[in-house]
Formats: sequence, structure tokens, C-alpha cells
Amino acid sequence: MTDFEALLRALTGAKVKFIVVGGTAATAHGSARLTLDLDIVYERSKENTQALVSALAPHRPYLRGAPPGLPFSWDLRTIERGLNFTLTTALGDIDTLGEITGGGTYQDLLPHTVTLELFGMRCLCLSLECLIRVKRAAGRPKDFDAIAELETLKEGVEEKSD
Amino acid sequence: MKKQASISLSPDPVIEAYKKDIDRTLLRENLKRTPEERIRNLMQLQRVAEELRRAGQRIKRQ
Repeated sequence: MTDFEALLRALTGAKVKFIVVGGTAATAHGSARLTLDLDIVYERSKENTQALVSALAPHRPYLRGAPPGLPFSWDLRTIERGLNFTLTTALGDIDTLGEITGGGTYQDLLPHTVTLELFGMRCLCLSLECLIRVKRAAGRPKDFDAIAELETLKEGVEEKSD
Repeated sequence: MKKQASISLSPDPVIEAYKKDIDRTLLRENLKRTPEERIRNLMQLQRVAEELRRAGQRIKRQ
């Protein structure tokens, strides 16, 4: 199970600049779909990347689905050499993304965020409209149902009856 | 957002077809909650899903 509160607390505690995207953002906007991980887009500056390293390091991040024993080291050099990391940690699964399809980087997404009060923390979350655009851009058939739900939320669920 | 400029939000017939199956009652109930309550609810759902997965594995082993 992913402890969303603890992960968000670790990130905000280390002053990481990040935006909640993906399924968790959809949940925050009212989606009823089950998501298993926390997806974030982080700002790619050296200072912020180091903050991300520090935030997650105590929780033993490792590449999700990779065989055990790989020489993976969660450090600044590793993150700077890559961009997007799908991780499993002691607090649960987290995707740390430097960029997303159809949305771009942290800076690109920043004007399309809303600030949410979650567990006593102020977190940036992708807006509902931007979430739909990003999901549409990805064009994955597995997302069609999720996009339909998000668009229903945007249109206002009260407009149509079951 | 520059990278989103070409992505239209005009109705897509495929997505419109999927909308017929959306459980609007569930969404209405969700919208009564705060974002934090929705995420807490998600964590509870994860626990239930994990318990069901374990139960399924136990049945397979028997």
C-alpha cells in the first residue's frame, strides 16, 4: 500500500518543488478510480534534485519491477543522468517524473496547477483540465475510461442523470 | 502551455462512448468529500484491494 500522506510529508519536509499529477491528482479532483502510486513532476534544478534525493533516500527507493541486487544508487548523479523514475519505497510506490507527455516540465505545468490543502500541507496539483489534456496526449487505450470520468467531472456530474 | 497547444478538448467520440458507463452516483458522493478525504478513502480502497489480492492468492494455493 502507498502511504500518500507520508510520501507527501517527506517531499514537502525536504522542500522539494513538485506537482502531483496522474491518478492521485485525479483522485483529489473527485475520481473514484483506484490508483496505486503517487506520481509527481519535480523541478529539475540541481538544488531541487538534491532535495528530492534527500526526501526519499531514508525510505530506500529502488527501481520498481527491477530484479533485486542491481547497482542502483539513489543519488544526485543517478537522477541527473535520467529523467523519469518509477520507484518503490518503504512508504509505497512513487513515480518521480522530470517531464510528462503533453504537459512538459515542472515549469511548463506550473501555470496549470491548483493549490490543495492535504494533511496540513499545501501541495500543488495539476488542474482538472490539464490532467485531461495530458491523458489525452498520452493516447493510451487504458486511459479512455479515466479520461471519460475526468471529463464527466469537468462537465459537472449533475448535468446528466444515470 | 506550449506543449499542450495542439491538444484539443473538443468531444472525442471514443471518450463520449465511455462516458455512458461512468458511475455518476459514485462521483457525486466523492465530490461531497474534501480532496484530503478523497485521498484517505483511496488509501482505504488500496487496503481492501490488497486484502482481496491476498485472499485470491490463498485460494489459488489451496
